[in-house]
Amino acid sequence: MSDIKHYIAPTTLEQALETLALGRVTILSGGTDLTPQVSVGRRHFEDTLMNIRRIEGLSQISMQGDEIRIGGSATVSDIRYHDLIMKYAPLLCETASHFASEQIRNAASIGGNICNASPAGDMIIPLLVLGASVELASWTKGVVQTRRIPLDEFFTGPGKTLRNSNELLAAVIFKKPSADFVGFFRKSGPRPALEISTVSLGIGGEMKEGKFQHVRVAMGAVGPTPLRGRQTEAALEGQKLTRTIIDHAVLAAQQDASPIDDIRATKWYRNHLVAVFTEELLYNVCQN
Amino acid sequence: MSVKTKLNFTLNSRPVNIEVPVDMTVLNLFRDFLDLKGTKYACGEGECGACTIEVDGKTINSCLMMAVDLQDRDVLTIEGLQKGNMLHPMQQAFVDHGAVQCGFCMPGMIIQANYLVKQNPSLTREEMKRGLEGNICRCTGYTKVLDAVAAVVGLKG
Amino acid sequence: MSEQVAFQHIEKKSLIGTRIKKPDAPAKAIGKTRYINDMVLPQMLYAKILHAGRPHAEIVSIDTSEAEKLAGVYAVITAKDVPDLKLGFVKDNAPLKGKVRCERDEVAAVAAESEAIAAAALKLIKVVYKDLPGVFSPEDGLKEGAPIIQERFPDNKSLRFEFKHGDLEQAEKDSDIILDDEFNVHYVTHCCMGTSCAIADFDHNGKLTIYSQTQYPYNYKMDLAPALGIDPGDIRVIQPPTGGSFGAKLDVYPFEPVAAILAQKTGRPVKILFDREEEFINSPTRQPAKMHVRTGCTKDGVLTFRSADVLMDNGAYTSWGPTVPVIMMRTVSGHYRVPVVDFKGQAVYTNNAYAGSFRGYGNVQMTYATAQHMDMLAEKLYDDYGLDPIAFRLKNAQESGEVTPQKSFLRECAFAECITTAADASDYVNKLKKYTAERATDDRYKRGIGLASSIHNAGGAKIHKSDGCGTMLKVDDYARVTVITGASEIGQGIDAVIAQIVSEELGVPVEHVTLVNNDSDLGPWDVGVHASRTTFIAGNGARRAAIKAKKQILAAAAKQANVTADELDLRGGYVVQDKDGAVVIKLDRMLRQMHFQPVPDVVMVSDYYEPNSEPEGKDHISDHSAAYSHAVHIAEVIVDTYTGEVKVEKVTMAQDVGRVINRMGLEAQMEGGLAFGLGFALSEEMLFEKGHLKNPSFRDYKVPTAPDMPELDIHFIESDCAEGPYGAKGIAELPTIVIAPAIANAVYNATGIRFFNPPMTPEKVAHAIWDKKRTAS
Repeated sequence: MSDIKHYIAPTTLEQALETLALGRVTILSGGTDLTPQVSVGRRHFEDTLMNIRRIEGLSQISMQGDEIRIGGSATVSDIRYHDLIMKYAPLLCETASHFASEQIRNAASIGGNICNASPAGDMIIPLLVLGASVELASWTKGVVQTRRIPLDEFFTGPGKTLRNSNELLAAVIFKKPSADFVGFFRKSGPRPALEISTVSLGIGGEMKEGKFQHVRVAMGAVGPTPLRGRQTEAALEGQKLTRTIIDHAVLAAQQDASPIDDIRATKWYRNHLVAVFTEELLYNVCQN
Repeated sequence: MSVKTKLNFTLNSRPVNIEVPVDMTVLNLFRDFLDLKGTKYACGEGECGACTIEVDGKTINSCLMMAVDLQDRDVLTIEGLQKGNMLHPMQQAFVDHGAVQCGFCMPGMIIQANYLVKQNPSLTREEMKRGLEGNICRCTGYTKVLDAVAAVVGLKG
Repeated sequence: MSEQVAFQHIEKKSLIGTRIKKPDAPAKAIGKTRYINDMVLPQMLYAKILHAGRPHAEIVSIDTSEAEKLAGVYAVITAKDVPDLKLGFVKDNAPLKGKVRCERDEVAAVAAESEAIAAAALKLIKVVYKDLPGVFSPEDGLKEGAPIIQERFPDNKSLRFEFKHGDLEQAEKDSDIILDDEFNVHYVTHCCMGTSCAIADFDHNGKLTIYSQTQYPYNYKMDLAPALGIDPGDIRVIQPPTGGSFGAKLDVYPFEPVAAILAQKTGRPVKILFDREEEFINSPTRQPAKMHVRTGCTKDGVLTFRSADVLMDNGAYTSWGPTVPVIMMRTVSGHYRVPVVDFKGQAVYTNNAYAGSFRGYGNVQMTYATAQHMDMLAEKLYDDYGLDPIAFRLKNAQESGEVTPQKSFLRECAFAECITTAADASDYVNKLKKYTAERATDDRYKRGIGLASSIHNAGGAKIHKSDGCGTMLKVDDYARVTVITGASEIGQGIDAVIAQIVSEELGVPVEHVTLVNNDSDLGPWDVGVHASRTTFIAGNGARRAAIKAKKQILAAAAKQANVTADELDLRGGYVVQDKDGAVVIKLDRMLRQMHFQPVPDVVMVSDYYEPNSEPEGKDHISDHSAAYSHAVHIAEVIVDTYTGEVKVEKVTMAQDVGRVINRMGLEAQMEGGLAFGLGFALSEEMLFEKGHLKNPSFRDYKVPTAPDMPELDIHFIESDCAEGPYGAKGIAELPTIVIAPAIANAVYNATGIRFFNPPMTPEKVAHAIWDKKRTAS
């Protein structure tokens, strides 16, 4: 463990970004990933520990135009019980209820879950299905600058993202799903939650005149990052969900996934679950 | 040594003013500096719930929370539940229903159960199970714990 | 007040079978109880151990100089500081090692002002290792030219156990069906919520006080002393409240002498406390076993023989683990009526983790095999000969008075009643047939029901010279009772049971009984809390002591009232007439009168209860327990045949408990014991790769949580054990033993697939189903 020389708990985004711009900052939000990672030596504290939980508005969940905006320090519980999310993106609430335990849901932030970039990060899957982007903010040339990156381009490897060290994940944003949108999430494990996903899967799209459109498929723990199932999407796009189409989608999903063996599961089982979950979620879509 | 910072917060309805190293967890602060040893260490990674406390009305794993984040917050630990010499109804229910064996996990379990009932006074048994899934107990098999929580729900309902 | 009640009549009311609250529960529920993990002694230092982290190596050199220089470090020790100090079942272990034989090996230790400094000092110790080729399975350990783990055992063979009874060859000829299968039971660990901890403190006379989680404080001294080079008489064991044990603390493990050696060296109290990862890597496990089991049966459904050839991974050192065949063979010879028995058990040294004792001790492993074999026979006998599966079991279930081939005398046996009670309550046979028929359907979710049973010692197990327990009891001038017992409390609830028994005998409120049982300088001897024995042995002891006290009080009262003692009784804090409960005198007044007279008559009694069992003996032919008991579990499961997830929906349990004493504590033991077996059956597994534990965290080692628990329907069968206190038998291990094969049998009923290698993880189940479909098509 390295020694922390400064501690700061900014109340404004500007303050936070100015601190980040100086460099050598560890960002503290819920602490649910940071604390154990430090204690086992997988991460070390930088010179400055910056607590972003006191930044005004950073945990807000709001509708702005036709977009839903979830502030980076909103907790998983905030999302799970938020009226706006329940109304427009119940898929996110459903996923949130399967995230770790109640105590962790109460602390873990959405920004932390995304920036930790675990291939098995549960909340990332439904956000990919919703076509979300992340908003990164930085202090550049004396002003706050923001940029948006689609979530499916954000992850570059296990624990790695496109976020620069002077940037803060200010929000995750997605377009309000249309009334025809249906989406489902499934993760493995005999337990409802408190289980690192062996495999997680999300499927969403608009069902118009019996055809599945604007389909997005996302998978967790079957590659180095959470990923979009592009071949599965192609197999489904604009199709009626017939037995044949579902069979094609299941095969495509197994093409999309590139799992490995680890202590939680073998490659075989992960591929098997991808097939099972794809079929299961597509049946859910049909029945909706 | 990491830098220290001043901290003011409310702990079991009393103000606390203390200087803490900024890399300290809430669990260490309570156990090693404030002598509140009711809150237990059993895993240090948020998997077992033995260190569960309530912060601003929500339960968290104190092993995962940095002490510096307690600033201005309102904290409830197992030591803060009872009124004088009277056990809190949840504590009494755990005693009455035989939910305490070795008892090591029980402070966290009781804090979590109390939080669940406050959130939803008409909690079902299935909801209790889900709400307690982050608390490991190796003695009881959870049955008597659920009985105790159900009894408190019954009292309120 | 006393004048008013003088005319009262007090009815006789028994507490036996009622619900008694655990006396220590309120303090635990408010967070006031100081567990050993919470303790801080004046001037105390904190120690940390440097573990090798590699399975097999020579230690070329150790340089501790940098660590010693670190501010706040008081002592650094290595093997050279503790020559010739040994511990373990065959004294093959040492507090600190000069050679590495497994990952956990203790190479050096540091005592410092804080845990953080001790941890920092460990990082400054420079060890040069020369890695050696390792042995990671018992089969490899037996191979010609295998690396030698323990120099004293060049063939790597550790303990061996055998038992034979009857003519096996003839029995095989007499059999119409012979099953022949290999069962492979995996590594699991206790996961006590309070991690391992010891605090050692020497006084100026060289006497050691050790604060310990041990389950056997008296023999513990005998085992700890050689590891310190001191006299066992110079050790005082204090047992502060502990966060669970379950068998994990039934031996001395190296961290305990290490704490003591550091205390000796520094002259300060020294505390060692494991973090969770250390706990996973360095605690004993349950003994894994490869069990080649054969069972024979006639077409009429009569068992003809059972043989078992057990190969055990001893790990690098010998704790209780490889002694489990002592109980395994009782299962082989006693689980149902088995006329011919052949048991062999061999442990082989490897560079893996080593096992200790663990709730269910050998029987969890063996019943996983025997109870599945019974189910397999039941199916075959039904399919081929039309024999009802319950009738088959009843035909082979022992009855009261029977003696097993090892001479276990089943004085009061309620096995048949356990079977019929559980089968009727769960509608077993109808469901079995229904689910078997549904197996062929294409449904994703399949239901299954499975029955399993076992036998276990229920009146201690005389594996030491004595299986006894001492009790000292005083009744003071205020009619408050103090019981000093040798029996240890580890959360199981002997505190409630003893208070209840003493209260029953002396007619005082349960709250007026104080139990003292945490200090070896105060308590009389007891063999330890294990083998489902404490209610039986210590309960008997407490009862006998209380009866002595009662006799003394009634004798004095009788003399005063000019009646005979058997005309009197103690009820509700009074001496009363036995026939109508008429109050004679208030108990405290009586006690003061006895005390304050020219020849004082003070109530201070003692008892040493030795059960009427026989020592185990080398030939394993003895009635080694004062009672035996049976249990039947019927598990109902739903299997997701796609994901392989097994959900246990309901378990019906029927167990011969002899007699219910504390109903609440008894239920709690059933429920908690079952949860242990559930984890063993479905999710818990220590994953080793070349001696290295790959999942040392709750994240990856999955113990059951609340949503995993099934609905329970518990039936207590009261067989009234003549030797047990009020008829009670020991109960705590059977719930852990029986559930896993019940689940395996249910999963078979649902899927048609047998799982000989637990745990039945989703992946394993899914793969087996997939494999079966593939081979079928």
